[in-house]
Amino acid sequence: MAYLAHLGILISIFVMLSMSLNLVVGYTGLLSVTHVAFFGIGAYATAILLTMTDIGFFTSVVVGIIAALTSSFLIGLILSKFDDDFYALASLGFNIIVFSIFLNLQSVTGGPFGISGIDRPELFGFIFTSNVSFLALTLIALVALYFLSHFIVNSSFGRVIKAIRDDEKALQIFGYRTHYYKLTIFMISAGMAAVAGSFFASYITFIDPSSFAATESVFILSMVILGGLADNKGAALGAATIILLPEFLRFVGMPSDIAAQMRQVIYGLLLIVLMIYRPQGFLGKYRL
Amino acid sequence: MDIFIQLTLNGLIAGSIYALVALGFNLSYGTMRFFDLGYSALIAVGGYTVFFLSRQIGLPLPISILIGTIMAGIAGYIIYLLVYVPLRKRKASNMALLVASLGIFTVIQAVIGIFFSSQFRTLSGPVDAERIFHVFGGSITRIQVIILGTSIVVMFALAIIFRFTTFGKSIRAIGDSEEVSKIVGINTSRIIGYVLFIGSAIAGLVGILVGFDTGITPTMGFSLLLKGVVASIIGGVGNVYGGVVGALFLGLIENYGIWHISTEWKDAIAFGLLILFLYFRPQGIFRK
Repeated sequence: MAYLAHLGILISIFVMLSMSLNLVVGYTGLLSVTHVAFFGIGAYATAILLTMTDIGFFTSVVVGIIAALTSSFLIGLILSKFDDDFYALASLGFNIIVFSIFLNLQSVTGGPFGISGIDRPELFGFIFTSNVSFLALTLIALVALYFLSHFIVNSSFGRVIKAIRDDEKALQIFGYRTHYYKLTIFMISAGMAAVAGSFFASYITFIDPSSFAATESVFILSMVILGGLADNKGAALGAATIILLPEFLRFVGMPSDIAAQMRQVIYGLLLIVLMIYRPQGFLGKYRL
Repeated sequence: MDIFIQLTLNGLIAGSIYALVALGFNLSYGTMRFFDLGYSALIAVGGYTVFFLSRQIGLPLPISILIGTIMAGIAGYIIYLLVYVPLRKRKASNMALLVASLGIFTVIQAVIGIFFSSQFRTLSGPVDAERIFHVFGGSITRIQVIILGTSIVVMFALAIIFRFTTFGKSIRAIGDSEEVSKIVGINTSRIIGYVLFIGSAIAGLVGILVGFDTGITPTMGFSLLLKGVVASIIGGVGNVYGGVVGALFLGLIENYGIWHISTEWKDAIAFGLLILFLYFRPQGIFRK
């Protein structure tokens, strides 16, 4: 049961990530390769606040969101100028810069050794120690984020970002300041990633920079593309598939280090085959 | 003063590695017009082929190096036939090509990891009696001299091919417009195939050189490629000579940068530079 809860928590956290990235990649059509930077900002905010101060988990989530919003605002100002492959490249550059801050700002982030001993959340004296209770908390956050993003993409704002994806020029001619829309959706997505990061730090109780390297952004991106661009259920399906894949390989009896590599082989091949035969992913509505 | 000379030397050596990567990358970008991140896997293919042939089978070094270079070229050509040709036939967008190329990188590095483990290896022998030369008070190893020499030779060879051969002219024609090149009777897909073979062989050579200078890991190519891309953007993407100048500029900036800041920030400096350039001068130094 604890094992199933463990998988459930991991899947929920990564669904939060893929769903929030889908807002930018799937709905707005911007290939952002920097998502784990904000995931990391949330995770480090929670880790630092919970180990060094005694403010609770939930306050640290808010601080993480604010930190992610601020940093995504600053980099978003630059990114919103680009589209297509230059957007991908510039965002990747930002991910690498953030990663090197996590890695090298030793006094704050603990450098390559990371931060350990992060507490589980506590609410009115109840501590979410068991996996099942933590899963319940994570699911609540996931459902909240799901409805938030559902609301966003179905609002008038959501129609504008989808229109940016389909034809940004035309929208500019109608007088929309598309840069502001691109910036806003990028910040919302970053804030949601920070929430996922806080849960991740508190659940694993130990974080180090390796979880937030640029290749991990590619990993999240492949979840979105696999499951389906511009479809929230697709993003969830993609995240679940990629998280469960190594567990499945382990059941088949593959040694764990080979299984880790095999997972990459499989999802790499999936990406290639999907791009050739089905560029919108399993459930997607938008072709990359 | 000594430290200034040493940093200049280090900058030039790093710059010439980046220049080789940028050359190969620009060859593929110049003809196919997308960011081919799969190119980075071929760097590791070159390095690991030499590792396998010379250190595990015991072939003489020059032969292994030759085979390693050709292997990377062939691998690049096969990838082109299996992945890029079908994608281009389906008129896939740049982003779809970019995602597929990420898939290629993921697959190849994982396969290498399965066969050779992802540990750090070095190509040079344990006590290879690495000769050290002294130039103006700075020191430089033999392999670094070879790196400088190789990049100069490759640059001139490519310049001659570009300027004086029909093949070079067709490459430039395809870079200007693939459609028109087809109309005037250039077999574009064959030429692009050759170009990718040459570009990939250069990537293999980079992997081998870096393997002798520092060492090899399955993911070694990714950061090298990113540096090459940064160099190309600084010089003007698709512009072969610009890439070389950009690479030397990047190598020098990185190394002068760590004069006052510690070494770990090299990557942050490089990608900070990338974002600055993308923002203020996305066409690079040379394009108008």
